[in-house]
Amino acid sequence: MRRFQIHKLLIAFLITATLSCPAFAQKLATNNAHGAAPKLTLPLKEGSLRFAVIGDTGSGTEKQREVGDMMVQYHQAFPFEFVLMMGDNLYGGEAPQDFEKKFAEPYKALLDQKIKFYATLGNHDLALQTHYENFNMNGKEYYRFKKGNVAFYSLNSNYMDKKQVQWLEDELSRDTSAWKVCFFHHPPYSSAQKHGSDSQLREVVEPIFVKYGVDVVLTGHDHVYERIKPQKGIYYFVSGAGGKLRTGDVKDSSLLTEKAYDRDLHFMLFEVAGDQMYFQAVSRTGETIDSGVITRRKK
Amino acid sequence: MRRKRLLVALCAILSVGCISSVSAQETAKAALAPPVGLSPADKTAIQVFEKQVKQYVELRNKARETAPKLSKDSTPEQIQAYRTALELSLRNARPNAKRGDVFRPEAAEYIRRTLKNEFQGKDRKDLRETIFETETQGVVLRVNYPYAQSAELSEMPATLLTKLPQLPKEVRYRFVGRNMLLVDRESNLIIDFMPDALP
Repeated sequence: MRRFQIHKLLIAFLITATLSCPAFAQKLATNNAHGAAPKLTLPLKEGSLRFAVIGDTGSGTEKQREVGDMMVQYHQAFPFEFVLMMGDNLYGGEAPQDFEKKFAEPYKALLDQKIKFYATLGNHDLALQTHYENFNMNGKEYYRFKKGNVAFYSLNSNYMDKKQVQWLEDELSRDTSAWKVCFFHHPPYSSAQKHGSDSQLREVVEPIFVKYGVDVVLTGHDHVYERIKPQKGIYYFVSGAGGKLRTGDVKDSSLLTEKAYDRDLHFMLFEVAGDQMYFQAVSRTGETIDSGVITRRKK
Repeated sequence: MRRKRLLVALCAILSVGCISSVSAQETAKAALAPPVGLSPADKTAIQVFEKQVKQYVELRNKARETAPKLSKDSTPEQIQAYRTALELSLRNARPNAKRGDVFRPEAAEYIRRTLKNEFQGKDRKDLRETIFETETQGVVLRVNYPYAQSAELSEMPATLLTKLPQLPKEVRYRFVGRNMLLVDRESNLIIDFMPDALP
């Protein structure tokens, strides 16, 4: 009985404080479900380009939703302009209710704020996703877009045929952007035990990335987080646990790993300012699991 | 004098452009090199295969005309309506389609041989691992039937795609276990399949 009264008093206090003090309401909103406010390691430089990264999201689970909620909290502190999706956007079916449950609902708050999502196709995604209004693929399985001084290339690693390779090479060979970022589903380098490095894909795309000065490669597929030690001057990330997790999947002894995390879902944040690209990987519960800065190579 | 300098600078810019373009082509060539040593019989087999694929594409593009138009920013409902209409239309357009219509024996033999020759040792092990880890439960291997939407799609190894006969954008190769399928990219219908294609 006494506990019930304490709860009532607490609720009354919260309502009064929220209504009478906007600062308190804002503080309450930015605190996450686990009681910690977003802890940014990114510099928030004026005029910088800011974006988020999620991969292997489309499970429609409560935990996917919690990642979405945490992204909203971080967006308040770090207003990112768009989100890159690493594929496996919808697991197990593509009926209208799947699009709703596995994408539109978990990220509703971000979509409502007009934040654009740019998708790539994973091995669970059908080709017609390229026509979905919220994936911004314009009906194409591989495409390029540019934001500020950064060119983004979304590739279809499920089907890296001659046409796509030729397109990639043609586009990169005339791209004068300061930064070149490629994103696709299958990781050329990965220390996860389930899938690991896709050596056949690497054999075809890596020489092109090296030749044309691709700076950063973002992938998913393995349901973990991993930052690979730079390979031939290129920074590779695996960000494949936005909606599915394979706990303990990263090999402890891998020589590829700079930093790995396989205990919870996560998302990533990036900030590009001049010759610096800052990154931060954040767990579902708001913990910073990795952060750092990449300095652009002289080309 | 000034005009001469300008001419030299222009030549320099043009030659850098040419070198860059030539070397871009060289890199592409290395990755996209076709299989060497095609016999006349192989060439004929590939030509026949490509002709069958072309005929399918003509038929499917005609069948597609009855499906509702799909814009680049469609809703999930519009996507589903399009896929369903296309699937129905295609199935009706090929009521008697059967295994081997596109993968004729000569082409099938060429593809089997390519898989065997191009993938040996560690490459073969990697290829098989990639293919066999794909979860394809629910896929019924039947011509003119849809590939199960809930099933995973096998990644087609990039190195392999450079060796197989090229397909138009409407059609895709896909593996289910050791079987190689030809599927319609948009409707996901199985156009044809080759059993035990993988060595």
